[in-house]
Amino acid sequence: MGFFTDSTLCIGCKACEVACKQWNQLPDDGFRLTGMSYDNTGHLGASTWRHVAFVERESPLPGQGSPRDGVEAGARAFEPLRPLGQAGTTSPLADDVSPSHIETPVALGPTAQAMGKFSWLMLSDVCKHCERAGCLEACPTGAIIRTEFGSVYVQPDVCNGCGYCVSACPFGVVDRRADDGRAWKCTLCYDRLEGGMVPACAKACPTASIQFGPIDELRERAAHRVEQLRARGVPQARLYGESAASQPGTAGLRAFFLLCDEPEVYNLPPDPVVPTKKIADSWWAMAAGIAGLGLAAVGVVLSARRAA
Amino acid sequence: MKTLLERREAARDGRNVDPGLGTLAGEGAEQRVRRLDAGHSERRVMAPPEPELEGRPSYYGMPLLKEPVWKWFIPAYFYVGGVSGASAVLGAASDLLGPRGTRALSRRCRLTAAAGAGASAALLIADLGRPARFLNMLRVFRPTSPMNVGTWILSGFGAATAAAAGAALLPVGPGARRAGDAAAAVAGLCGLGLTGYTGVLIANTAVPLWQGTRRALPVLFSCSGAAAATALLELFPPGDRSEPVVRRFGVLANVSELVMTGVLEAEAGVVPRVARPLRTGISGALWRAGQALSLASLALTLGSRGRRSLRRAAGLCGTAGSLALRFAIYQAGRRSALDPHASFEQQRRGRGAADVVRAQPGLDRALGEKGAEPPATPTLHDPGLAHP
Ligand code: SF4
Ligand code: SF4
Repeated sequence: MGFFTDSTLCIGCKACEVACKQWNQLPDDGFRLTGMSYDNTGHLGASTWRHVAFVERESPLPGQGSPRDGVEAGARAFEPLRPLGQAGTTSPLADDVSPSHIETPVALGPTAQAMGKFSWLMLSDVCKHCERAGCLEACPTGAIIRTEFGSVYVQPDVCNGCGYCVSACPFGVVDRRADDGRAWKCTLCYDRLEGGMVPACAKACPTASIQFGPIDELRERAAHRVEQLRARGVPQARLYGESAASQPGTAGLRAFFLLCDEPEVYNLPPDPVVPTKKIADSWWAMAAGIAGLGLAAVGVVLSARRAA
Repeated sequence: MKTLLERREAARDGRNVDPGLGTLAGEGAEQRVRRLDAGHSERRVMAPPEPELEGRPSYYGMPLLKEPVWKWFIPAYFYVGGVSGASAVLGAASDLLGPRGTRALSRRCRLTAAAGAGASAALLIADLGRPARFLNMLRVFRPTSPMNVGTWILSGFGAATAAAAGAALLPVGPGARRAGDAAAAVAGLCGLGLTGYTGVLIANTAVPLWQGTRRALPVLFSCSGAAAATALLELFPPGDRSEPVVRRFGVLANVSELVMTGVLEAEAGVVPRVARPLRTGISGALWRAGQALSLASLALTLGSRGRRSLRRAAGLCGTAGSLALRFAIYQAGRRSALDPHASFEQQRRGRGAADVVRAQPGLDRALGEKGAEPPATPTLHDPGLAHP
């Protein structure tokens, strides 16, 4: 089982963040804005297991925009926005976002230009439940296990708070809690899955941006969606981490994503790798180093004996 | 109207839920709210703009990785572990093969090793919070986790050094003395591992600097451990005929330590952004200071010609240098973890998974095909509408 998070459907409503907090009874993170976009949580952490990233861009994305940039998107681009069978607007804000622009696009000066060059990318980020998980392989206590659903789960009663997993996760997901020092992250709602329910975030997502299900089915759906988007003129649409072939460093992700830009834009690493995959190099280097150290010790002792 | 108990409960918890509405029993229920204003630390806020990053995407400069959570205990442990491990190695060598008249040296080494093992355990426990958590690490044996392997090494080392030191301190019979010698040899073997594994430990992380220097780190830690151990012996010389042993060992260790700092810089420097914390800021200053002190220690040892005061000074420089190098690596690692571009650039330059994939041709092919292969043709309903 896993997640497919389709960022093109995300409207940034944060229902997933809230649902996750409610179900898992996580404390809030305060109500301060980070000072950039509408993101007030900023990153995944011990008390934030879903995080919605808001990327404000100065480049347009087909299918996204405001009624004001009718020029850019074409005269009929926002036809579907108008209520059926209704000629004019019913909005009291009609003067501000006059829908007449939809039919007869006119240049509106700086605003139109700014809006025309503007798009939002939103992405509900989560623990990736990697097929090869850095956190799991690094954990010295065996606190992190793979569940029968294929997810990666930290057993709070075993974790000893060494924090090794925190640095071993190539996505910066798992975090140590300030009060008792143990590591916490998304559990893929293990308790809900046990009860035959879907994870709280997927349940709450009003746009089906978060889809939960058997991983193969999700992959098929994702491939279909990418095709659909490309056909609609979004050539940037791509999947992130959907299979071992596309992300060999983690052998694929159980929570993969559909993106419309480079992964870096969403704070995702472009080519992550589970650190243990590289660690044989280190062990060999260490073997050489300590062999040298041992030889040096023996050598100086022997040479001193010769001198004595 | 809430009861006093409920109000107190709400105050203790600090979260925005009324405990009267339901019991808190979920996964994260015992988590307490942090002080809301203290929760956002400065570094999480947008990084200052850097001209050379123009055009390189990132999420508002926010860190990609979590900063390593370890406090000063851990670099201190790297130092203490290195000292005691290398002491055990030198002690075992002089025990087994040493010229006569170096009994005091091996005794000194055994005591240093045992004291260091105790201090190491204490530092680790201080980092974890309570002793039971140290034992927790021994509930499994997990070769993929250098921290787990290291805990086993440290445990074996502690037992062996305790036995060896006990045999050296207590007035024991010849049988026990031989057992002590055997324990010292075992301690020497474990000590080898103890000096190096800490390098493997931090290399096995996503921290760009540590992962990017994974070959140099364990060797540097071993060399630096040996240098630190001899520096300590110079500070408190055993005062018998072991002097040439200590001196030569120190020179070798110092030279190799200096060489390895250069190797590490070169390994990190393949991606300049990753090596940046070694050049700039406090971590860079510490790094340079460590190199300078190590060089000073070498020069003083070579120039001392047996003069006590100079040897003392060499010992001081060596100790300070070794400490500075470890704290520098630690601090530089933290900084590289907070710099998302260090990870991005490293991975874009083929030093992420591509590094490993190149070594495994099968995977490479899978990767190469990916671009050409069209997405599987689906027979599915509109995913936008389908929702389980
Ligand atoms: S390595 Fe990170 S992303 Fe992967 S399962 Fe562990 S915490 Fe989640
Ligand atoms: S902090 Fe807990 S879960 Fe993470 S590696 Fe340490 S023991 Fe394992």
